[in-house]
Amino acid sequence: MCRTRSTLLLRAACAAALALAAGCDDSAAPGASSAGAAAPGPGSASAAPAAGEGAAAPPMRILSLAPNLTEILFAMGLGDHIVGRTTYCLHPPEAAALPAVGDTLHLDLEAIIRAEPTLAFTVTRLPETVRRLEGLGIRVVPVENDRLGELREAIATIGRETGRPEAAAALLKTIEADLAAVRGRVAGLARPRTLFAFPMTVGSPRIMIAGRGSFVDELLDVAGAENAYPDAADWPTVSPQQVVAMQPEVVVINAAVPGPAGRDEAIRRGWESLSSVPAVRDGRVYVLPEAYLTIPGPRVGQAARVLAETIHPDLAGEAAP
Amino acid sequence: MTPRPLTRRRYVFTILVWMAVWLIVSAAAVVVGGRLWAWPSAAQVWDVLWLRLEWVATASAVGAALALAGLAMQALLRNPLADPYILGVSGGAGLAFILASLFVGAAAAPALAFVGALATVGLVYGIARRRGRLEPYTLLLAGVILNAFYAAAIMLVTAVVRPQERGDIALWMMGNIGAFGPQWELIGVVAAAAVGAGILFAFLAKGFNLVAMGEDTAGALGVPVHRLRLAAFVAASLVTGASVALAGPIGFVGLICPHILRMVLGPDHRRLVPASFFFGATFLVLADLATCLSEGAAIPAMPVGVLTALAGGPFFIYLLRTRWRKRLEIR
Repeated sequence: MCRTRSTLLLRAACAAALALAAGCDDSAAPGASSAGAAAPGPGSASAAPAAGEGAAAPPMRILSLAPNLTEILFAMGLGDHIVGRTTYCLHPPEAAALPAVGDTLHLDLEAIIRAEPTLAFTVTRLPETVRRLEGLGIRVVPVENDRLGELREAIATIGRETGRPEAAAALLKTIEADLAAVRGRVAGLARPRTLFAFPMTVGSPRIMIAGRGSFVDELLDVAGAENAYPDAADWPTVSPQQVVAMQPEVVVINAAVPGPAGRDEAIRRGWESLSSVPAVRDGRVYVLPEAYLTIPGPRVGQAARVLAETIHPDLAGEAAP
Repeated sequence: MTPRPLTRRRYVFTILVWMAVWLIVSAAAVVVGGRLWAWPSAAQVWDVLWLRLEWVATASAVGAALALAGLAMQALLRNPLADPYILGVSGGAGLAFILASLFVGAAAAPALAFVGALATVGLVYGIARRRGRLEPYTLLLAGVILNAFYAAAIMLVTAVVRPQERGDIALWMMGNIGAFGPQWELIGVVAAAAVGAGILFAFLAKGFNLVAMGEDTAGALGVPVHRLRLAAFVAASLVTGASVALAGPIGFVGLICPHILRMVLGPDHRRLVPASFFFGATFLVLADLATCLSEGAAIPAMPVGVLTALAGGPFFIYLLRTRWRKRLEIR
């Protein structure tokens, strides 16, 4: 994923030169406001797959720079148009077969140029990344996804930008239906104070948890739970003392990165000394491996369901038959 | 001040005074740092009491180990810049800890970190040994070069892992007291190693004094200089490796504590050894208490290693610029 520093520098220099050249092209052909306008040159030369589009429409070549965006694009039937993804975009399985162009922080500009994208979706707030991609003649659409409302907007935006508003509307409808179904199942149940935490990979006295500013907080609400963390921060780190003070009744630990054998047991054991915490006392510290619990994409309904069935164990039984 | 002879009474008095300071500070750190009076239920007080006890024990064991190792390294290398990390042990332990955490599991990380420290001790010894002797300058250079190598390897690992793990590694590298989950066995190992090194160094203290005056003089007076060096090097490296496995590389304690004590107590290693043991423990317990209190005051919690350098640096410069400077020499 990462090369040596000198290679990186060299690559950055090349990219800068190319970006400069691309910028010149743009100024030479004004009015290239739409993504497709720049495509015919390089796009036709590389014998891109027709992807079922009419001959009139220029091929749409999408760069998806976040796991949730890749999932959204696949869910909208745009998987065939994706020409580049990040190393973390592993779902759906078809996505893993696509060429990776780096992660959210380090983009391999060479690989991006090779993929010849016309349209890039990104969640980054780094203006530098956006500028650089735009310098390559790619239409860049940054979207926000920290809250469920922003996820809805992101899906609508993607529908608009790709000319598939119906697919976006259908996906939104599915998500709303999934969430409503979970809400319906937990209606009237007690709402336990729940802490959603991540395990620390390398020894540390603190753990990162989902605060009230994250969409996981909204998922907890849908799943019939109250976030045990009282403040507005999105992903704060807390000390064991703070956990004792919060007195969570349920603890969900999302160990999404595959770990060595016995890791989950070790994570649970780490909590045993906090015996005054109700979740520990009642044996309600759960380690969940599902990575999608923290991916604001089409599977949020599924995530809410897993959380609901973990937090309200009686639900899991009634869903099985 | 004319140097007074070190009677047994004065020796015991030194030990008792520094031990009392450590005990009082530790007790205060448990109560004050845990804000034990502020918890609504007895069960919560109990939990927090245990957490605070564990963290104070960690800070004590690590602080004592680092201060002793720093004292021994400075005497061994006759270099006031020497600290426990100067011979590359922390780098070896750190790299092993990080790799083990990522690929083997958090439970095995401390043990493998200690293996990394042992391997580094062997490597440095192998490089620095010439005709069966340890040359201070070769030792120093071997350590510095190995440290640079390990630092590069850790940077490589940091660069290629996931962002979340990258954050964890960066935080660990700053040095932290306490882990999410009890570590009493490991604390016991580090504490035992520190006590063992303290006793060993107490017996070697006279030798340290003589070597500090000059190797030839010491040799002429019958001090087995090379064996002394080897013992100090191995013991200091082992306690350093153990403390890094427990708390990460906490900077500055091992460098500054022996110097502060030299300014206060003078150059006699017979008093410096027990004083370093307790003062190092006290110093780190205080630093840990400060991070706890800052967190209670809603200031974002600082890794204790950052605090020791932030607070220790200016204090040391103050000592350096005042009348205490005269007493700094290692002699």
